[in-house]
Amino acid sequence: MGNRRSSKALAVSMALLARIWRIRVVLLLSLPYLFLVGWLFSAEGTSDVRPAEVFVVPDPPRWEEPDHSHRFGTTGTGVDLYDLSRVAMANSVAVAVLSSGAGVMLAFLLVMLFANDPGENRFHLIKMLGRSGLLLPPFMVMVILTGGAGGSLIVAMVSMASVIGLILAPVVAEWFEDGEDGRDILAGYALGLTRPQIVRSRIVPVVVRRLLGVFAQLVPVAVLAEMALSFMGLTGDRISCGAMVAYGRELIIEAPWMALYPGVMAFLVVVAFSIMGTLVGAALRTGRYARFL
Amino acid sequence: MVRFIIQRWLVYVARVCGAGIFALLLIELAYCVFGGSDRHVWLVSSYEGVPVQFSREANGWWTLACGRFWNSFFVILIAYGGTLIIGYSWGVLSARLSRWKVSSLLSLPFSVFACVPGFWFVISVAVYSYFEWQRPGFANEVVVETGPDLMSWWYAGVVALPLLMTATAWQIRAVSESIEREAGNPFVKGLHVSGYRNEEIFYANIMRQSWKELIGLSDKMLPFIMGGIPCLEWAFGYNGLGSLFIDSVRGGYYEGVLLCCIWVSLTIGLITMIRELGVRFGTKE
Repeated sequence: MGNRRSSKALAVSMALLARIWRIRVVLLLSLPYLFLVGWLFSAEGTSDVRPAEVFVVPDPPRWEEPDHSHRFGTTGTGVDLYDLSRVAMANSVAVAVLSSGAGVMLAFLLVMLFANDPGENRFHLIKMLGRSGLLLPPFMVMVILTGGAGGSLIVAMVSMASVIGLILAPVVAEWFEDGEDGRDILAGYALGLTRPQIVRSRIVPVVVRRLLGVFAQLVPVAVLAEMALSFMGLTGDRISCGAMVAYGRELIIEAPWMALYPGVMAFLVVVAFSIMGTLVGAALRTGRYARFL
Repeated sequence: MVRFIIQRWLVYVARVCGAGIFALLLIELAYCVFGGSDRHVWLVSSYEGVPVQFSREANGWWTLACGRFWNSFFVILIAYGGTLIIGYSWGVLSARLSRWKVSSLLSLPFSVFACVPGFWFVISVAVYSYFEWQRPGFANEVVVETGPDLMSWWYAGVVALPLLMTATAWQIRAVSESIEREAGNPFVKGLHVSGYRNEEIFYANIMRQSWKELIGLSDKMLPFIMGGIPCLEWAFGYNGLGSLFIDSVRGGYYEGVLLCCIWVSLTIGLITMIRELGVRFGTKE
């Protein structure tokens, strides 16, 4: 019995288990993400709900206060606010993920334009752009761009991505500079690797790993920014928790729940994304899970 | 010293001019390129007088913006002053107690509050004010005509609180990390080995070494605070520079947008200049 060779299936399954055990933190972190996003996007109702139609107040109004059947109450047209809030948050999260992703990629591409240059001041232009960008607060820039365009979602997303990219680019440039101080970089030069090879194989993987963490932490911030823009009516006529609070603000005496409960939903979702973003950022900073991401 | 002050002053003027030009470019890009308007920023006809909705407050845009800035000054004072006081004191405390890993704990209430949408918070305060205190909730619903206007401080405080909490959360972490980084230097271990007491090492050595970096953190949250003011003031009906900015953007009043941008950049630039002067003269000593 002791001399029998172990089966191939057993060996493969053991290797698989070992691999899963090594990435257990990544798996654990991805589960709540999947759960939260799945819960948001599985709400009853469609994402092309127009708030101007849903929040119109007929005479007499058909709204209901929060109770067992409607946890968040209903709108004047009788639409359930709980489901509507979920649809709204799903929209906000989708916009925030797209904008943050585009912003992070923009920052990375900007830095990569200069990364292969061996000069000392190769990132000077990026740093100067980043500094001059703070002449005006980024949110004011977004408000001007979206407001001038008449409240367009595309412009809101583009402006958010541009602002994120410009603010993040100097930080990414510093990561590149920090990454060039390591002994492995010197070893790479000693072994005869070219600068592009060193940048591609030694520095970029570290930077990309950190960028994933930054992306995870940016999403809740972008959700808040998107909601603020939609609250001011600058992201077009589409459902968002900001727009819902704005419509509810007009009815705070007659139906205060319409302004309050969408905000509660927004707060809880942003808290959840913030906690997960912090955990992902911390896990990626340690560098233990780089190979699997 | 005088030369440095003049140099910083010139840089300050250049920054404000740069912000003005940047704002003009943004307005042109937003309204004419994205919005399809034919009112270009270089046309005199694009700049009209004060619209009817503001005409009761002032006759000219400059007077209007100055008056609104003074209203917003209370908000900035509470938000930025509170951020500095709480951020630095709690940051130093969390660095001092870093052995017990309390940094996250100390900034936790602020971090949680930072997740609250600010516009929703001020509206919730208005709802509470209306139903619990039986009085108008929004800032533009009551005017104090006689006696000290204590309500203006209440309204400014409500608008400033979300900004204060969010900025403080960042400030505590930044201050704490900065001091802890300094505490990780080899000289600290040397002092321990030499028999110095913990308090002496922390306050007389680590803090003295890291103060320059700490001063450098003092203006980092100001752009965030200034950027958050418009949305909150507008949501709460507070007659400040922020609500003037939002109304101007929505109404397409170029003068209003431009003046608000210039006031904001003047404030940010001034604090930045003071920080730079502080670092410079501190280094000389």
